[in-house]
Parts: sequence; structure tokens; C-alpha cells
Amino acid sequence: MNLKRINILFLYFGLSMLTFFSSLSAFEVENIPVQSEGRVKPLDTFARNLLLRFYGKREIKDQKINATDWLLDLILYPQEGRQRKIFNIRNPEVVSSLFLDWYTDHKYSYNEIIDGLSSQVDLINTIEQKDNSIRTPFDKQLLELSENALIFEKLSYMKNIKLIPPALLDENAVWQSPFDFIISGVTPSYHQEEILNSLQQYLAARFQNNDSEIKHALSNYENVLSGLSFNSVNVEKLKDETWMNSANLFVKSLAFYILSFLIIGLSWMVKPVLFRKISYLFLIIGFFIHGYGILLRMQIMGRPPVSTLYESVIFVSFILLLLAVLLEYFRKDGLGIFVGSVGGSILHFIGFSYASDGDTLGMLVAVLDSNFWLATHVTTITIGYGASLVAGFVGHLYLVQNILDPVNSKKLKSIFNNLFGITLVALFFTLFGTILGGIWADQSWGRFWGWDPKENGALLIVLWQLLMIHSRLSGIARPPLFALGMALNNIIVALAWFGVNLLQVGLHSYGFDDGVARNLYLFISFEILFCLGLYFFPRLKSRFQTI
Amino acid sequence: MKIDNFLKIIMSPKIFSYTLIWLIVLVFFGTIAQKNIGLYASQMKYFSSFFFLFLGFIPLPGGRLILLFMTINLFSSLFKRNLWQLKKFGIIIVHLGGLLLLLGGGLTAYFSSEGNMIIAEGETSNYVDDYHDMELVFVNNTFKDSIEYTVVDEPLLKEGNRFNLFENGPEIYILSNIKNVRIENRISPADSIYKGLLEKFVLLPKKPEPENTQNRPALIYKIQGTSNGLDGIYGLFLGQGLNDYFQLKEQDFHSEYRRKRTYVPFEIELIDFEKIMHPGTNVAKSFSSEVNLIEDGIPRRTLIKMNEPLRHKGYTFFQASFIENLDKETTVLATVKNYGRLFPYISSIIMSVGLLIHLLISLPKMIKKKST
Repeated sequence: MNLKRINILFLYFGLSMLTFFSSLSAFEVENIPVQSEGRVKPLDTFARNLLLRFYGKREIKDQKINATDWLLDLILYPQEGRQRKIFNIRNPEVVSSLFLDWYTDHKYSYNEIIDGLSSQVDLINTIEQKDNSIRTPFDKQLLELSENALIFEKLSYMKNIKLIPPALLDENAVWQSPFDFIISGVTPSYHQEEILNSLQQYLAARFQNNDSEIKHALSNYENVLSGLSFNSVNVEKLKDETWMNSANLFVKSLAFYILSFLIIGLSWMVKPVLFRKISYLFLIIGFFIHGYGILLRMQIMGRPPVSTLYESVIFVSFILLLLAVLLEYFRKDGLGIFVGSVGGSILHFIGFSYASDGDTLGMLVAVLDSNFWLATHVTTITIGYGASLVAGFVGHLYLVQNILDPVNSKKLKSIFNNLFGITLVALFFTLFGTILGGIWADQSWGRFWGWDPKENGALLIVLWQLLMIHSRLSGIARPPLFALGMALNNIIVALAWFGVNLLQVGLHSYGFDDGVARNLYLFISFEILFCLGLYFFPRLKSRFQTI
Repeated sequence: MKIDNFLKIIMSPKIFSYTLIWLIVLVFFGTIAQKNIGLYASQMKYFSSFFFLFLGFIPLPGGRLILLFMTINLFSSLFKRNLWQLKKFGIIIVHLGGLLLLLGGGLTAYFSSEGNMIIAEGETSNYVDDYHDMELVFVNNTFKDSIEYTVVDEPLLKEGNRFNLFENGPEIYILSNIKNVRIENRISPADSIYKGLLEKFVLLPKKPEPENTQNRPALIYKIQGTSNGLDGIYGLFLGQGLNDYFQLKEQDFHSEYRRKRTYVPFEIELIDFEKIMHPGTNVAKSFSSEVNLIEDGIPRRTLIKMNEPLRHKGYTFFQASFIENLDKETTVLATVKNYGRLFPYISSIIMSVGLLIHLLISLPKMIKKKST
């Protein structure tokens, strides 16, 4: 009881410190607003997304430079910027087509690639005419590289950095770049001129390395921005987003989950009670950081937690952790910690592999852009996914327990009762999530049900869980078979969640997935073999023993 | 005795489990099949059918039969004696909700219709184009103040079919009904029996696209008995610009091949279509159509937006798509008439109430278990 109170105090203190620091920080150059990909974001996010595009990562680790500094250096010292090895080329064919040597780090500078690219303009034009489905990997990467080179070139004279808010402060209007004013000769309006001036002042000061002048320019910049009565620009939100970018909250929560897993492992060897409590504490800390990260994203984007595949992974793991924490609270034997730390870590890793298209905080197509339905249907169905995964996990553990300690029927029974309870929770959320999805479809497309792959995927989970529950209640399935069924339910969840995007048909196919298929097949075959093995092992063993 | 046994099987929860297994198999393979044959074809084959042929010759139960069976099973299971106990009250309600959901699905499957209403800015429409069915139309242009349509429905347009257009009128012989057409120039001069479009072009079938709406259907037919001697073989395809003219019954006609039309008892005029993009991108933020709903000549102004349809007289109009031309925009409103529309709403409420009741009933038991 005492430990619990300390947990809560500690977390409260930690969270309030986090928010306190992020709001007090001064206006930095990273916070300058830019409009890109449909929304206003801090320069930091803009630069990180560019680096992700060119370099494959959000920051240049080995050159010890952050994304914003890289971008500003490129503008101020274009000659040096063009020599910085910034383009990541993973395909040796592309490298040789550019007359370059194959470096082991795959990184090339603009000056290195530009000659090779300009000698292949005809080839690139032909690739551009092709439909994406018939482009080879070489085609795709060469095209991507040439597009990136064009973007890079425009960056160096700020042609595609939309820093200047529109003259009429309208949310849907397109912002302008400093270059627009030079070339088109449009006279800037009053606030546009003020922003241009502060920007010029900042760049000049930066060029001269004049720290006090830099501070002055930035405070000018902030004053101009705060003076605008414009919903799209909110200085505090910009600061929050920059802070979130550098804080890498989900990496931190992952670290706590892994730590929690190591300590629970330790508790199986020495001092079980103490280490289990410490491990639980770490799990809860990780859980709160995780939740805070989701909360921040919701605040910045002004929409419910799940709208992209990446966000769904992060949110599902949050639900999984929530249930695991509750499970541990009721069982107090480490089972919940095990489920939470392992499941949470795996899902974090899956999430990171989707980060390139989801962590960039992109905008949504019209049909999805409905906060009401995102909040109800998508959140419900994602909670259902999370609960189903927990049930699947506990199903595995039941089968393992059945092998390790089959005589301890009291423990087996208690695990089974938890499993059945979680399955009911999962069924509740997947069923209502699916029905709510049908109602959303009825509201926006005019039909409740259309046998679309995404709908069928969700339906499969519901049917499978209905089958398991009815088979158990009607006596067809005994507890081990039920546990096997729920363990295999993971496969159906994975198929409904990631698999349907591979089919590329129907109204729901806004997914995008190369290379996911292979991982999915691996996962499915592994699960089938592993679960069937666990299920049949005790039977075979007893048969051999009787012989 | 035998009937008793039969009833026992019908209402058994084991039967429910087995039908569920088959439904799972069906949904799984029906979904995979969509990649090859498209959503609509797969839906027709696996889900909206009583039977389908596996490998071309083995008949297996389709979605409709399974769902019908499930409905009967669920309904008859309500008569089980040991179900009607106070502690199972919540469970009974949940199952009643599920039954209602299935019944609503059945109602929708048989009594709903859907299509597109396509209106250009400034224009008015009072009919809905079917998504899938086509119709052959002979338009009588003789009268100054009215147009008379003679419509031949899809079931008559099968290859090899012969029928008379009116009583003792000219005979139509359907030579070919093409799902997706490729139009090519004739290399050598055509036989004199080919008329109209077919004098210069040939209509060849090409592989249908998985999405039915991407196909361009066409029809080749022979007409005999026109009064101006224009008998011969004609070709028509969807969206054809030039018409073929005939004299039938001493009156002027032209033919059209178009999506089957269903008329609604009012008119809709598109005033303005608006599309807002996320600034600086090609991603749409919202679409909306400002329309006049005209009934008995009296217009009522209303806005149809994504996720905010117009409902009127049992019809619902949704902002589905749009066509962008140089001079004006055209809106595409998906139109649905569905008598079973409210069932999912009602049944989901009933099911949540049932679960809540079940939870409240079993809560004291659970707490008691914990304290012991």
C-alpha cells in the first residue's frame, strides 16, 4: 500500500515537471512555424521529416548536428551543405547508375549525386510516366532520389519552406516562402513584412555568430507571432511539439518496459517479492510516459488517439499495458508484468518500423477526418485489438503453465478465469467497435455492411471470439482448447490489423505496405507451430509415458 | 419424437459453433478472393448467395444460407427452457439484440436499393443510376412537349435473346453483351449489315476490372422491322456520344445504353460543389454539395457533406465523389433506399443494455467470490 502511494506521488511529480519545463522554455529557432503537408508545424518537425526523407533517420547522429541546424546551415552555407553526405541510397544498382562507388554507410552528398542524376534525365522521365505498380525497385529508388535532389535544391534558397503566413489569416490558405516575395514581387502585408524582417535579422545574426542578436531576433519573432490573431499559430503548441520531438517519449517508455522485463526475470531467481514490486513500478512509470506521449500527440493534432496505422500500434500497446497493469494488480504474481513488458516492447518495436509514415503527424483524407467517429469507432475497435492481444498472450501463458506445472490446478484455473474474463472484454469492444464502424459506414457511404476487407477482418475477430466462448459454454472446448483458440486469435488480429492492407481493395484501403507481408507470414507460421506444439506437447508426453 | 430430435439439433449451441466455423472460413476466403475477382463479384459469389460452386462443381453453402441458418438457430434457442432464468436475463437480451441485427441484415439484403445520382453544377436530376445493372433505351423524340422512353431491362439483355420492342414492333436480337469493352478501328471496310458506330469501329471484350465501376459495358444487337430500312447490326457502349436514329411505328427514335435508372419522387438541383484541400497538398479536407431539394416546384436549400447526408422520403444522399471538368464541377451522390437501416442502431442499443444488465446481475457474485 505504501509503495503504491509513493508510485502515484512520484508520477505526479514527474509529469508536472515535464509539462513545466516544456512550457517555460524560451522561443527557439526550432519553434518557428512552417506550413507543410497540410498543417502548421515547428521548423524542427519540418527539418526532421526532411532528414527522414533524405537520410532515413530523423537526426544525423554521427555528425552531431540536429535537424534544424542542418537545415539552417544549408541555407546559410549552401556550398558546405551540398558536400554533406545526406542522401541515403540503399540500392547498389542506383549507386552504380550514378557512376559512384558503393560506400558501406550508403551516404552520399548532393554534389556527388547531381551529375549522375542529370545525365539520366531521360530515364527518370520514362520512369515517371510509368504506373507505380510496374515500377521496379530500382525505378522507385532512382525516382525517389531525383525527387529528393529537387527538394534539396529548392531548400537551399528557401523556395519550399513556407514560413510566411498568408496575408489574409485564413486556416485553409497556403502560406508563402521568403522566395515567393523575391520572385513574384508581391508586396508583403504588414505582418508578413514583420515576419520577413525578424527572419532576416535572425539569419544575419546567425551568420555572424552574434548570440545576443540571435536572442533579440527570436524574441522579435515570437512577439510578431503572438500578436497574430490566427488559430493556426499557437506558440505554446509549437514549443510542445518541438519538445516532444526531442523527448522521444516512446523510446523512454520502451526502455522502462525492457527494464521491467529484466527485473521480473531477476525476481524468478532471487528475492521474488521485492524485485516483482520494483518491476511493477517500472512498468507503471513506462505506462505513464507512454500515456503522456499519446496525450501530447492528441493535443497537438487536435484529434482522438488513433488515426494512422502507427498511432494504432502505439495505442493498442497502451491498452495492452493498461490491462496488464490491472491484471497484475489483481493477481500479484508477475503474470501481468510479464504480459505488459513483453507485449509492450514488441508492439513498440513494430510501431517504430511504421514511424516513417505515421510519426510525422500527417493529415487525414476527408472521409476519416471526423473526430466523432475517430473517437468512437476507431478507439473502440483499437481497444478491442489490445484486449484481444492480452487474451492471446494469457492464452499462451496458460498453455505454458499447463506444461510446466499441470498438477497445480488452482493456478491453472485462476489463469483460465482471467483469460475468459479478458476474452469477454475483448469481445465487447471488438463487437461494438465493428457495429459502430458499420454505423459510420452507414452515415458516410450509405451502407451498414459491404463485405469490405477491413470490415471482414474485424468481423473475423468477432466471430472467432464468439466461437471460442460458445464452444466453451456448450462444452465442445475444454479449457486448454479454449486457451489454444485465444492464442491463435492473435493471428486473426494481425491479419485484420495489417493483413487487409495487403489486399488493396475496397474503400478502406488507405494502408500502404511493402514488405509487411513477409513478416506477417513469419509471425503466422511461428504462432501456429508454437501454439500447436504447446497444446499437443502434454498429450504426447503422457502417451509416451504410458508406453 | 423425430421432430423433437430435429428441434434439438436446430437449437443446439453446438450447431451454432459449427455454423460459426463455416462462416469464418467463408469470410476468410471471400476476402482473399476480392484481390482477384473484385469486391462486388466476391460479395455476389460468397456472401449474397445461398450456394456457390467450389472448384466449379462442388456446391457449398453461401453466406445467405449460413446467416439464415444462424438466425433460425438463434431464434429457436430462445425456446430452451433452462435459458429463462432471472440470472440469464441479460444474456437473453443480448441474444435478442443479435437476432434483430441478423433480421435487419436480411431486410437490407432483400429490400434495399442503391446507386449514384450524378448532377453537374446548375443542373437538376430526379433519377438514380444503378451501380451494376444496365438498360437499353429507345427514346421517342417525335413529340414536341414530351419524351417517351422504351426501356429494356438487364435480364432481357442476355446473349442470344430475341424479343419484340413493342407489340408487333421490330425485333431485337442480342448478339453480344460485353462487360468491359475495347473500341478499335476497323481495318477493312465493314459488311453492309453493320450500321452506325460499327461501320467504322469494332467492339471487343477485354478483361473486366475487379472494381465494377471501372468497366465500360457495351451491347451489340440486331434490329429488324424498322420502317426506314435501317435494319442491321448496331453497337452501343456506355457513355457513347453519337446516337443511332431509327424510324419505328412511323416515329423518330434513337437508342442509348446506360446505367439502369430509378426515379425518385422529387428533384435535386446542384447549386455549388465545393472541395477544400489541406493547404498546400493534394489531400482533400472536405467535399460538400450545396443543393436545392425541389418538391412540387418548391425548392429547399440544403448542404450535403462528407459524413452528413441528406435524408428525404426514405432516400439518403451521401457525398460520394465528384468529377472535375474545366468549366464546371459535377457531384456524385451515392443514393440509398434501405428499410432495414435502423436495425443496427436499435440492436446495438439493445445489446449494450443486455450486457449492462448481465454485468449488474453477476457483479454481486463476482465481489462475493473475491472476498471469500
